[in-house]
Amino acid sequence: MFGFLRRTWGVIKRPSVHYSLGALTMGGFLMGIVFWGGFNTALEVTNTEAFCTSCHEMSDNVFEELKPTIHYSNRSGVRATCPDCHVPHEWTNKIARKIQASKEVWGKLFGTINTREKFLEHRLRLAQNEWSRLEANDSLECRNCHSSESMDITRQSPRASEAHERFLFTGEKTCINCHKGIAHELPNLGEAALINGH
Amino acid sequence: MALTRRDMIKAQAVAAAAAAAGLPLPASAQNLVTDASLTDLKWSKAPCRFCGTGCSIMVATKAGRVVASHGDAEAPVNRGLNCVKGYFLSKIMYGKDRLTQPLLRKTDGVYDKEGEFTPVSWDEAFDIMAEKWKKALAEKGPKGIGMFGSGQWTVWEGYAASKLMKAGFRSNNIDPNARHCMASAVGGFMRTFGIDEPMGCYDDFENADAFVLWGSNMAEMHPILWTRIADRRFSHPGTQVAVLSTFKHRSFDLADIPAIFTPQTDMVLLNAIANYIIQNGAVNEDFVSKHVNFRKGVTDIGYGLRDDHPLQQAAANPNSGGSDPMSFEEFAEFVSEYTLEKAEEMSGVPVATIEKIAKLYADPNVKVMSLWTMGANQHTRGVWTNNMLYNLHLLTGKISTPGNSPFSLTGQPSACGTAREVGTFSHRLPADMVVVNPEHRAYAEKIWKLPEGTVPDWNGAHAVVQNRKLKDGDINAYWVQVNNNMQAAPNMMEEGLPGYRNPDNFIVVSDAYPTVTCEAADLILPTAMWVEKEGAYGNAERRTQFWHQLVDAPGESKSDMWQLVEFSKRFTTEEVWPAEILDANPEYKGKTLFDVLFANGQVDAFPLEETSDEYANHEAEDFGFYIQKGLFEEYAAFGRGKAHDLAPFETYHETRGLRWPVIDGKETKWRFKEGSDPYVTPGSDFEFYGKPDGKAVIFALPYEPPAEVPDEEYPFWLSTGRVLEHWHSGSMTQRVPELHKAVPDALCYMHPDDAKALGLRRGSAVKVSSRRGEIHTRVETRGRNKPPKGLIFVPWFDARQLINKVTLDATDPLSKQTDFKKCAVKIEALGA
Amino acid sequence: MTMKQAFRKTLALGALALAVSASPLLAQESVATLRSGTPLAENASPPPIAPVKNTDLRQVRNYPEQPPLIPHKIDGYQIDLNANQCLTCHSRTAVEISQAPMVSITHFMSRDNQFLASVTPRRYFCNQCHVPQGVTKDLVENGFVDIDQVLEYVSGQEGN
Repeated sequence: MFGFLRRTWGVIKRPSVHYSLGALTMGGFLMGIVFWGGFNTALEVTNTEAFCTSCHEMSDNVFEELKPTIHYSNRSGVRATCPDCHVPHEWTNKIARKIQASKEVWGKLFGTINTREKFLEHRLRLAQNEWSRLEANDSLECRNCHSSESMDITRQSPRASEAHERFLFTGEKTCINCHKGIAHELPNLGEAALINGH
Repeated sequence: MALTRRDMIKAQAVAAAAAAAGLPLPASAQNLVTDASLTDLKWSKAPCRFCGTGCSIMVATKAGRVVASHGDAEAPVNRGLNCVKGYFLSKIMYGKDRLTQPLLRKTDGVYDKEGEFTPVSWDEAFDIMAEKWKKALAEKGPKGIGMFGSGQWTVWEGYAASKLMKAGFRSNNIDPNARHCMASAVGGFMRTFGIDEPMGCYDDFENADAFVLWGSNMAEMHPILWTRIADRRFSHPGTQVAVLSTFKHRSFDLADIPAIFTPQTDMVLLNAIANYIIQNGAVNEDFVSKHVNFRKGVTDIGYGLRDDHPLQQAAANPNSGGSDPMSFEEFAEFVSEYTLEKAEEMSGVPVATIEKIAKLYADPNVKVMSLWTMGANQHTRGVWTNNMLYNLHLLTGKISTPGNSPFSLTGQPSACGTAREVGTFSHRLPADMVVVNPEHRAYAEKIWKLPEGTVPDWNGAHAVVQNRKLKDGDINAYWVQVNNNMQAAPNMMEEGLPGYRNPDNFIVVSDAYPTVTCEAADLILPTAMWVEKEGAYGNAERRTQFWHQLVDAPGESKSDMWQLVEFSKRFTTEEVWPAEILDANPEYKGKTLFDVLFANGQVDAFPLEETSDEYANHEAEDFGFYIQKGLFEEYAAFGRGKAHDLAPFETYHETRGLRWPVIDGKETKWRFKEGSDPYVTPGSDFEFYGKPDGKAVIFALPYEPPAEVPDEEYPFWLSTGRVLEHWHSGSMTQRVPELHKAVPDALCYMHPDDAKALGLRRGSAVKVSSRRGEIHTRVETRGRNKPPKGLIFVPWFDARQLINKVTLDATDPLSKQTDFKKCAVKIEALGA
Repeated sequence: MTMKQAFRKTLALGALALAVSASPLLAQESVATLRSGTPLAENASPPPIAPVKNTDLRQVRNYPEQPPLIPHKIDGYQIDLNANQCLTCHSRTAVEISQAPMVSITHFMSRDNQFLASVTPRRYFCNQCHVPQGVTKDLVENGFVDIDQVLEYVSGQEGN
């Protein structure tokens, strides 16, 4: 095994005898495209709803809960898929999120939430992770679609337009502060539920 | 002319009618009215008109109108709360299409089955009715007439009806719509305990550690009892709620342990839990050995269909409620095949979930309350299912003590008080007595001061059979009061509608509003409702509640009781009783049924002066005596000393109701337990005195399949039911604009994946059809009910979408109650 | 005016009103108002699912004891063991931000009429009493008379 590695390293280290520098550069460039493309394609595959809901943990719990909400079915038929809200669109953040997601693969392998009961046990923590992420990035994934600049509050219900004027436009609050539990059920918030809702 | 108090009340009522007719509206801006003579409202109590919970309502009247209502803060049942329907009670009497005159189908001025509804006088209405009744009696005898009443009759209305039919016309063809609703519960009580109605009471809600719902969506159907469960669950940490159903509904919002099971497999789950209790040593051996017998029930009993139906002919023991004694060991052996694994396989409920529920029963430190309504009762094995529910409580001794309570909920305001206690069923007499028992008949005849042999010895036609007999032309004169059975009864297209429209039949319907049933009738009688008359209801916890007449009924409307008693004047004993009875008892000759039934020295014993000075009482005024009191006191004689003791009449006008048996002025909260029930023999600890040996029965009963299951052609289960905002057939609630707008239409609730597979979506217009009929409705995939794949739910309140055109008239063979929760249907896009 | 005269006058007025409200029905083929003439054996085309009124405009209550109707959509509002989304805006502490009406003081009372530190769990399921309204027509008009109209009428009677 060690001998094989040493021999391979030797081959790589030695200058090429048969191919011109141009051909090698060109080949490297092409291979780069192939690999890079492959990586990105794979990345995009993991960035689809079909991939997310291929695990029963997702399809039986959060995806089932998404279906009756406005983010799945609505008047105009424009809808949000899992990555629209849960994966940053900007590249470096996306990669960072994907690296984080390796923990989820771990969770899948070890069955951390493989039953409804286990899922419910972890749900508060899972939700809090997402809420704090969105709070920290000023609800970036919400704003990818719901830009405050394009929002015509005269077309909203009086209640919504007033709230947006007071809190969103002034920057006092960010989307997620008020809009928790809109796409999935809320976790058990304990006693607070009775006092404040959540 | 001296104006009496009553005259003033009348004057005010008339004045208010004027107000209603659209006199000038008040100016939009006005000062606060502060004059006490104006702003003072008269507040009076009345039980709610809707479900069996029996909430007490405070009703405000002014100038003869109901102007406001709210939950009665003093009432132990609801302590100031109402559900949304209850809060809108003030408006139920004011639908603009109230019936105000009798309407008879006529062509060219004479009665014609195919004629148009034409206003007639009460005299003309009773004339044609009496003619048709006499004709049917002459041609077919007492079996040729029939009556369909209700758990919404007041106690005295049900009593007067039962007496008129069973003793007057000598026909037991009288049944209440409670047959659709509570008959299996009654069957369960009689079989297990030998006496009807729950041993516990609502105080159990504040004492239980766990609540298990077996086929009941209390969050919508018993909202105020649900508030008591929510209160207990949230304010006493550790309290658990388990909800079992064939589809997910609002009660699941409070469920610590949710379970969706395949229709009919509740029986498997019940046996599996019984087996778990035995296998895990959780049987309360002391209790079981002292207070319980074991019996093995006869099986393969059919489906209550017409006798020539293949399913009936295939049954080995159709309609048999027989059973044989067995030992505890034999019972343990019987249920041992129902393992948790088998239960999971059949029901689809995971073993872990079943085990969690089983532990609630098995843990001796958990006080558990089981609750059920139509899921268990509207079931082709409803009586069995009730028996099997009691099995769990009897095995563990969790019964008749605070918080340990198998509790059968009721759907109608007086299903208990009237239908069951008064005994308006086709087989019953008051106080749990039955018509086939000669001693019971003799007892009734004695109280009624009637000749021996007056009450017939045959079981009359029950609800579903009445419709079949109408279709077959066996019953020709038929009277429906306080219910909307054309909309409520199963298989409308094959049985109900052809029955009512059969040219041989004359159908009379008494109602406040022109319902679907009215439309199918030949004569419609306008009827006073709720606080337009003095009344009494009995709720699910044995609580009897009274109310006064608070306002006048519109137009010529009259109460059901007035109609019954007035109609009795149209018959002489010679016309309806056989010569043998009259020859043997000549003193009854030449008298009207009114004379022998209602002017018998008992019903007419209390003079008008005893009626309240504060309230009107039109029936008492019309008959010239306090008829409600007379009927009540005669009725109460049946139960006093027989563990159904009622308090004196006046007491109920003063209290927020009392739970019978009321002994020495004290109500009974937990029956069959020494210390809380005075009927229990001292020293016996528990005594199930409905049975001769004081022991309750645990029944060994197997799972048997439902009458109809989905197949290739009809691939979906159909379950029907109610919604929170409408009560029953919606004849009152659909006329309250706020309630109508809250839930405007019936919808077909289905799983989004099922809809997608059929090319349907939310809002798609569809045809829901069975082998019997079809309705047109729209798909709802996001509503409050979330069925699993393969099952749809359609509520039955909507007069425009009569889902009972689709349902199957299979009944429990013992209770004769229809299974409205299971039949097979298909769904197709409309216009596709 | 004597009592007797007043009574007669009331009676006359009332009779007139009754004649209007309970005018003899003409002969009719179909009576089931809610079915608007569709024969029992037939099926009318099902009305579309009504949209929910979302104006945020409060409606007059029929009487002060009536629970207010919800003037907005509540689609997907969670009220379960985990959370009560109505209280997000209507709780005592939320109204400053939401400017929504605070849950009534009665909602803090226990079964025994004691005021609790927070909303009583018996009132937890808001939609048992409070319901939104579909945008749809009444099936039948309701003749309930508002107390103010009744008072107007009663005081008018006394003035005569």
